Amino acid sequence: MSEKLQNIINKQNQQQTAPDASQLEDVVQLVGFVVGVEEYSVPILSIQEIIKPIDWTRVPQTPGYVLGVFNLRGSVIPLIDLRQKFGLPELKHSDDTRFIVIRNEDEVAGFVIDRLTEAIRLKKSSIGPAPESIHAEESMIEGVGKQDDRILTILKVDKLLKRDF
Amino acid sequence: MDEFEEILQDFLVESFELIEQLDQDLVELETTPEDLELLNRIFRVAHTVKGASSFLNFDVLTHLTHHMENILNMARHGDLKINAGIMDVVLESIDLMKSLLVTIRDTGADQGIEVAECVNRLDIAAGGSGVEAPAAETAEVAVIEEAESSDEEEPDYDSMSDKEVEDEIERLLMERQQSDKAKRDAKKKAEAEVESAVGASAEEAIVAVKSKVEPASRPQKRPAAKKEDTAAVPTETKRAATTVEQTIRVDVKRLDHLMNLIGELVLGKNRLIKINDDVEERYEGEEFLEELNQVVSIVSLVTTDLQIAVMKTRMLPIGKVFNKFPRMIRDLSRELDKKIELEISGEDTELDKSIVEEIGDPLVHIIRNSCDHGVESAEDRATFGKPEMGIIGLKAYHEGNHIVVQITDDGKGLDTDVLKNIALDKGIISEKDADTMSEKEAFALIFKPGFSTAAEVTSVSGRGVGMDVVKTNIEKLNGLIDIDSEIGKGTSIKLKIPLTLAIIQALLVGVQEEYYAIPLASVLETVRISTEEIYTVENRSVMRLREEVLSLVHIGDIFDVERVFDASEYAYVVVLGLAESKIGLIVDSLVGQEEIVIKSMGEYLKGIEGIAGATIRGDGGVTLIVDVAALMHMAKSVKSTISTQTDVKSSMQEKTKASDYKVMIVDDSRTDRLIMQKSLESMGITLIEASDGQEALGILKQGEHDFDAMLIDIEMPRMDGYSLAGEIKKYNKYKNLPLIAVTSRTGKSDRMRGVESGMVEYITKPYSPDYLMSVVKRNIKFNLEM
Repeated sequence: MSEKLQNIINKQNQQQTAPDASQLEDVVQLVGFVVGVEEYSVPILSIQEIIKPIDWTRVPQTPGYVLGVFNLRGSVIPLIDLRQKFGLPELKHSDDTRFIVIRNEDEVAGFVIDRLTEAIRLKKSSIGPAPESIHAEESMIEGVGKQDDRILTILKVDKLLKRDF
Repeated sequence: MDEFEEILQDFLVESFELIEQLDQDLVELETTPEDLELLNRIFRVAHTVKGASSFLNFDVLTHLTHHMENILNMARHGDLKINAGIMDVVLESIDLMKSLLVTIRDTGADQGIEVAECVNRLDIAAGGSGVEAPAAETAEVAVIEEAESSDEEEPDYDSMSDKEVEDEIERLLMERQQSDKAKRDAKKKAEAEVESAVGASAEEAIVAVKSKVEPASRPQKRPAAKKEDTAAVPTETKRAATTVEQTIRVDVKRLDHLMNLIGELVLGKNRLIKINDDVEERYEGEEFLEELNQVVSIVSLVTTDLQIAVMKTRMLPIGKVFNKFPRMIRDLSRELDKKIELEISGEDTELDKSIVEEIGDPLVHIIRNSCDHGVESAEDRATFGKPEMGIIGLKAYHEGNHIVVQITDDGKGLDTDVLKNIALDKGIISEKDADTMSEKEAFALIFKPGFSTAAEVTSVSGRGVGMDVVKTNIEKLNGLIDIDSEIGKGTSIKLKIPLTLAIIQALLVGVQEEYYAIPLASVLETVRISTEEIYTVENRSVMRLREEVLSLVHIGDIFDVERVFDASEYAYVVVLGLAESKIGLIVDSLVGQEEIVIKSMGEYLKGIEGIAGATIRGDGGVTLIVDVAALMHMAKSVKSTISTQTDVKSSMQEKTKASDYKVMIVDDSRTDRLIMQKSLESMGITLIEASDGQEALGILKQGEHDFDAMLIDIEMPRMDGYSLAGEIKKYNKYKNLPLIAVTSRTGKSDRMRGVESGMVEYITKPYSPDYLMSVVKRNIKFNLEM
């Protein structure tokens, strides 16, 4: 099943890049969500699905932000708490809590977020670079998007899915 | 081009299959050089490969096989007696043939390997044993002729014109069709006749076959032709018998895919069974249950059968691995100048393809070891009064869900003192270890990396690597190694390997609130012990298991499990065995045996120490699978906390006002909750409500409130009062929390159940508010004057 999905995602990626070059120049679609007080976002095409919290199993020998693994229709997928990953205190899951399942090539993981905001279309021109004070290579931040009066941080999907322990 | 590719693929597959058998046949031939049947079989391999390779224009291969065929043909006609010298050359040429085939497989051409020298030696071998060169020449001619006449093509097509080639092809096709037809007729006839009159007419049938086959293979010029013909007949009939068994070649990937699907199905089945159990509990006595039960049991039965059937398609006889050893032993015995014989049995024993592939290397190392260190030289053997010929036995057989491969030798055996001394010298063990070591533990030293008993490094062994490879590979397969040895008598090494890898039987164990699956292949036994039986020696926990001292480790210490439940007086010990070591794993509970499908946890969580993977349980939850090898390794460094029980810190705060007291009301009826609330209102204590057991347990687990008592209704959906009480009492923290049953059930047995599950009071509805208040007051030690 994962192969099929991958195909579809690949196809979508192609479709995404194809019109990009011709007419729909430089618009990115993002999904915004809140962790702590800040709003973050990831490209909509990297999201496999968004689900309500379900039970998970703790995996020993992992850092605290790796909550464990959960069963997504027969696949065993790691679950990462973004609050703890970002150094925020743990919080009890509420009705707004969601698991965002993000996929990059063959790697998949679920991320716990406080709540979803909305799907956003953003012109590339309104995305600024990540703050300079952070080391560009280690940073999880792809860039900072500005829309109307709000600012949202765009996260690097490959960095999110990279194991760093 | 595609068609050519296809033919090439078939050619390669066929050739490799033939060669596999060839090695064994050749070694056998050396001992029984007169066996015409064997000679013919070997000859046919060379012949087939030659025919096909010339057709595919592999000139080098054709050249080589042609000369091989030549020498074999002479042997089979009795013109040449096979001796060790000739056999060496023939084996060498077979090796060349193998590497040529490998080159063809990898590059598509047979260039880059020099065969001239070997061909030369083949010719010398053919001529040097008394047969005149011209005689060899005629033999060659005869061979060519036969090749042409039977079914393959030999003439030099390069020198033919297109027209000639066309004609030649037509001629060959005709010939082939005819011979095929003849064969078919012969076969049909033979079958029919064998069927109609078994035994009596068998001879007749053979004659019939013979007469039909004859036109296909034209009479030979040489006088030996008659002899050859008679020998060919039994093989022809044999072929007729074997073709009845039909086979299809299937890509392994398809089988793997099928296996994956079956895995999913097994998970589905487990889930179905679980749901069935739940439904059974809830709708006891309903009629549809019977039907549901039937369906579930059929589905689970069929799934199991299907799984076995698919597993069988992936099974290969272990003979595939064993086949290469006669040759290896032969080479080794010549190299080491020892006399060694290999006895193989149980080569038909089947096991999963993936395991067959993994087991080859370990066996090579063990057998090399037996040859080099085990079996003594012929002179030594003579002085010990043993027969000169050393015997190495290779045996495979089934034992439950395992296959056992046993390698025995009748050599000098392992000397534990020598082993210990070497290990001491190399710093692998300490003086103290050496003293306390059991015999088995000493034997196991040979598996330590860097350990070698050989005084010097030879080309065969002595580097101390081989046996370490054995251990790692067998551990990878979740296998066990058992060594037995007697000085002067010999050594026996047993490898116990599970039949399959993808779907395994596992023992599910519980620790606190978590569950883990342990591959059953590694579980030797389970025992229940009282905590008093655990001794501490040098900061390590051990127990006495019959005659042995078993070191213990708590699964909670390995996996950092939070201790929330009370440690009970008894502990379950799962005795794990892997390769040659043993350990006792302490768990809180044994859940049972279940069939599980191993799933990877993805890139992100790959290689977590102690975890081999995950599986999905019947209830849809994920359970982690324990990596026994890693666990044993981890156990060495884990500090024991079995005996040191953490004191539960009492978070009892001084109660200063009425609202400091907290009582939980658990009842599914709103009205009942309201009644209780009203009754207790006047006390001014804090009341928290829950509408069923699950919710109540959830509130407790969150730990936001410290409760002084709980009022629990018995009949509630999802989780009833008894189960709730049972769950609560599992927690250390709530051991002394007063639980008060408030119910309309008045039966004596109900009261008994209440007491059993840990309730301290039993209030029957209806009740007066005052009574309820006094009971609550008593239990929460309400001592504020108001």
